[in-house]
Order: sequence, then structure tokens, then C-alpha cells
Amino acid sequence: MRLFATILFASAALCQAAESAAGRWEGAAQIPGHELKLVVDLSDEGGKGWTGSIIVPGFGVKGAPLVDLHVRGGDLTFAIKGALGNERAGRAELKAHLTPDGHLAGNFTQGGNSAPFVLEKIGPAQVDLPPRNTAVSKELEGEWKGDYEMMGYARHATLKFSNRGAEGAALDFVIVGKKTNNVPVSLVTQDENFLTVKSDEFGITFEGRFSKEAGEIKGTLSQGPLEAPLVLHRSP
Amino acid sequence: MKRFWVSIFRLGIGLGAVAMALSAHAQSMFRGDPAHSGTSNATAPRQFHRVKWKFPTGDRIISSPVAEGKVLYFGGDDGNIYAVDSETGRQIWKRTTGGPTPCTPAVANGTVYAGSYDGKFYALNAQTGAIKWKFATEGERRFEAKGIHGLQPKNQTIADQYDILLYSPVVVQGAVYFGSGDGNLYALDAATGELKWKFKTGDVIHASPAYADGVLFVGSWDSYFYAVDAATGKEKWRFHGGEDALIHNQVGFQSSAAVVDGMVYVGCRDSNLYALEAATGKEKWKFFNELSWVIVSPAIKDGKVIFATSDSSLYHVVDAATGKSVLKQQDKAYMFSSPVIAGDVVLIGVLNGTLQARDLKTGEPLWDFQTETSKQNKGWVLTADRKFNEPMFFTSSWREAPIVGIERQFNIGAIFSTPLVMNGAVYFGSTDGNVYAID
Repeated sequence: MRLFATILFASAALCQAAESAAGRWEGAAQIPGHELKLVVDLSDEGGKGWTGSIIVPGFGVKGAPLVDLHVRGGDLTFAIKGALGNERAGRAELKAHLTPDGHLAGNFTQGGNSAPFVLEKIGPAQVDLPPRNTAVSKELEGEWKGDYEMMGYARHATLKFSNRGAEGAALDFVIVGKKTNNVPVSLVTQDENFLTVKSDEFGITFEGRFSKEAGEIKGTLSQGPLEAPLVLHRSP
Repeated sequence: MKRFWVSIFRLGIGLGAVAMALSAHAQSMFRGDPAHSGTSNATAPRQFHRVKWKFPTGDRIISSPVAEGKVLYFGGDDGNIYAVDSETGRQIWKRTTGGPTPCTPAVANGTVYAGSYDGKFYALNAQTGAIKWKFATEGERRFEAKGIHGLQPKNQTIADQYDILLYSPVVVQGAVYFGSGDGNLYALDAATGELKWKFKTGDVIHASPAYADGVLFVGSWDSYFYAVDAATGKEKWRFHGGEDALIHNQVGFQSSAAVVDGMVYVGCRDSNLYALEAATGKEKWKFFNELSWVIVSPAIKDGKVIFATSDSSLYHVVDAATGKSVLKQQDKAYMFSSPVIAGDVVLIGVLNGTLQARDLKTGEPLWDFQTETSKQNKGWVLTADRKFNEPMFFTSSWREAPIVGIERQFNIGAIFSTPLVMNGAVYFGSTDGNVYAID
């Protein structure tokens, strides 16, 4: 009887926490000399586990995905992917708990610095889901190679596409210059003949048009402000 | 000039006045002497003890203090040129110019020489600050280019926020030489301000000319480094550095050269440190820094060249004869301040708001001093371990956001100023608006 009651209570508490954590939260982290405004969307809809995204006004961050998102009772932890972080500073992380008065309060850490934040629920969640990989056409599967020049330095790119069912396309992307760089790929999409490849981590985008007749993907590789023409041909 | 004094000294016929002149001369211009060796006669402390005094001004201090006797001279972005007692930190005089003066002055024969963003070059009485004469250049400006550093819109001409150090004059044999944002290298009569000659380059000159054996050595943002006859203003040779037609990031000589034993050592924004033959301009070697600028003026001693980089934040010692790396130390933030060798210590300012002392032989850090502004770390411009935290200040490449970002980056108490070592104390400025004396 006692066990049953405990299970009932725990289940109710979890359910309440889930209900309470879900929503759009708005507030600020108090970093020295600056109030960092935050808008956090958290959702547990569809039984697929927690998803979330964040908006940081004034920092060009709209809908950055939340990763390593864990909700246990009234405690939450998550990190921000692709924003407010880099190799030197690491990633920004938030650790929070639901307060008795219905706020989400905790610590925002970034670059080894830490600051308190308090968020207030202002409505239902509007999670900005990141675009997902699409499948690529059969003609694009396999290995493609091309050369380009950036800042006066020659580079060689190899892109190997494959399809992984519901997960969409996968891509191995290697750029060889002075060093060999395995480029972590964030997104691969094909819309008719237009191909897009993105690496958030490296700040690289390749956009190109596939021509069946020419047997090539002709496009532009951009890295930050730099752009270079890149034509890919199938590996022999 | 320097050789002349040394010869007198060695012959033992140096009178007291001559000895005093040598001593004062060694601190009285940027990098200590006309050849910019970056080596001080003084000894720097191997331990940090205290802040002896600090002198607040109305804006950031980019200028490097120089000294004549016990008086420090420096410029301020508040538009003033200052004379301050090095012992007490008390102001002796200030002279207001018509623009910011991130220029390191030179002092010779009782006259302080300095430039200002008002486009004028000033000669002031070193004791009173009274104007002896002033000379109008064709106008001052910063380096600018379309879409510089990848800023948007890319077809818009934007001033370079990192062109922050205004030229420093060099005074030799009755003439004062300086570059200008108008692209000219000027030679004026030091006593009267009369124009002797001007030498036109293709873009901004904000490096300080180095002088050796009757020749001036200076780089321009037009991508060329020049050797010019000091007497006539005629070009002897020019050396072509790298170019960057796309975003104008990897181009231009912002570093002031050092000339030692017939060789010219100079950093470049094309990320190389060059060693050129002073007589011919022929490249002897270059040290590539992986797209990271070399803004500092190198310091040379005992066959070693000491310099530091911006983005990669590396402290380097290379062999002066071969350009091979002798040692390399990872620092925490960009370095624009030039290294100064004082005894067995190397001092250098870092843009994260610290002044660093390193052991000359090993390169190991001995001590550092962090400004209060840096400690406060407003807006988390720095990570907890004092590295630049770009995601927190570069929020966009659009509109004025990059300019605001760079302002925030620099206002952390950054030390652009090259330290001066004198009587066991170290003097330098910071973007927090203070000039510090520490010992």
C-alpha cells in the first residue's frame, strides 16, 4: 500500500514537473555589466522526449537547439548548440530548477564564467526545430571531389554522400589544405537539383546545383565572409 | 647616431652631460632608440610588488610612455599630450590637441614631438608643454576598405577598427621623421618644423620609421615596405608584402621595423615576420604565422628575435640568422604591444588587460599584472581563464555590431601600450584610461 502510494506520488510529481517545465520562458542572466536576455522554449509533446530551443535577443541567436536536455523532477540541465560558444569558450550551459513560485531559476555558464538567471513562463512552447537532413537522389550517392582556392591557398574537397533511411542523407566531408580537416556536417539537404551542405562548427556552407548532363555539382563554398567557386566531379 | 654616442663612451671621453644625454636618449622615443631594437638599458623587476601609482586620463591610453630625465611623456585618446613625474605620478603639464593622440611621442633637445588625429604634428616645449611649432599634414585617417575583415555590407567602405596605433616620430640629427594617414613619410626640420621632404606611399603609414646609417625603414598599408634615404627622401628599395583583395585582412605593415646588424626585422598583417637585408631589401627569411597578424615591433638581442602574434596569441623567439623557431609559448590574447627586453626579463602588454613579464631565456611567465577593468570582465568579454570570449562580444557582422564588439573587446583594460622600464619601475598605459607605474 505504501509502495503504491509512493509510486503514485512520484508519478504525479514527475507529471507536474513536466507540465511545469514545458512552455516559453523569458527572463535574463545577470552577467557583470550586462543583462543577457533569454527566451527558452521547452516541450515534451509527442512522447519523443524533451526538445527545446533558445532565443538570445541582440546576439543574433534565434532558435538555437538545446542539447543534452535532461528534466528530472523540477531540475533541468541543457546546453546550447551552435551559439554563444566556440572552441575556446566551450559551449554555453544552463542548470535550473523550478521554484515554488513557478519560475525557472538557475545558473548560466559560458567560457568558465557563471551567472544567475531567472525566467518566467509567458506562454506555451514554440520550439524552433532545426532543419533535418533530407535524402539525396541516387545519382548523388557516392564520392565527389573538387578543388578551390581561398585566401590564396589551394584546397581539395572530398564529399561522400550516402542515404540512411529515415535519418536522411549522411555525408563524409574532408578538406585537405596544409592539414587534413574532417568537417563535421550539421545539415545536408537536396531540393530538386539544389544541394546544401552546412557545417555549423566550421562555419562552412556549400551550395551547388547538380547537373546530370555535365556530371557535376557546380556551386560556391563559403566560410564566414569568404566565398570560392567549387565544382565537384564524381571520383573515378 | 647611436654608434656615435657609443664610440664616445668607449673612448672614455664622455663628459657628464654626454652620459646624461645617452641615458635619456635611450628612453626618449618609441622602442628606445632610432633603430627600434626594443632593448632597454634598464632592468625590469623579476617579481611584481605593487602599483606605485596610476594616472587617470579622460579616455583610453594606446600611446607608449617615453621619458626624458624623470619625466614621462605620452598621448591620450582624450586629445591631450601629457608630461607626468615618473616618481610621483603627478601631472606636470598637458597640451590639448584637436583629436585623439594614440601616438607615442619622441623627446629630443628639450622638445616633445607627437602627432594627433587632428592631422597636425606638434613640437612642444618639454618643460612647459608650450607649442614651439605645429605642422599640418594632408590629413589623418585610419586604413579603410570595402567589406574589411568580412564585415557587411561587403561593398561598403569601412574604417579598420584595428588600426589603432598612430605613428610615432623618430628624431635624428636635427630632423624629425614620421608617417601619416595621408600616406606620406615626412621629414621636418626638428627646430623649425619646416618641411625638408615628403615621400608618398599608396596608403596609410601608422608604423614608426626606424633609422639606421642614414636610411629610414617603414611599411605602409599599400602592402610595401620602404627604405628611404633620410637626407633626400629618395627611395632606395621597396619590398612587397602580401595582399588580400578579398577582405583586406591580410595586407599592410602596421608593425614598426627593428634594424640590427644590417638586417631589418618587421611584422606584417600578411601574417609573416620578415627579415630583410637593410642594404638591398632582399628577403633573407620569413616566419609564417598561419594567418595571424604580426603587429608588434620585434625586439632583438643576442641573435634572437622576439615577437608575438594577434589571433593565435603566440609568443615567439626565433633565430635572427635563420628564422628558425627557438621557443614558442601560448599566450591568452592578442598582442599589439611590442616586447621590451630589460635585463633578463621580457615585458609585453596583452589585450586581455594584463602586462606580462617573461624570462628572457626560457620564455616562461614570471609574473603578470591585471587591470581592475579586466578583473571586472564586464559582459564576459573574457573567459574565466582570460582568453577572448568572441561569442559574447561579436554578435553580428552587420551594421555597427562589429564596431561595438571591437570597442567592447578593447575596453577590457587592454594594454596596447609598449612598456617603458626605468629605475626599476615599469610604465604603461591601458584602455581603462590609466597610465600605470608598477614595480
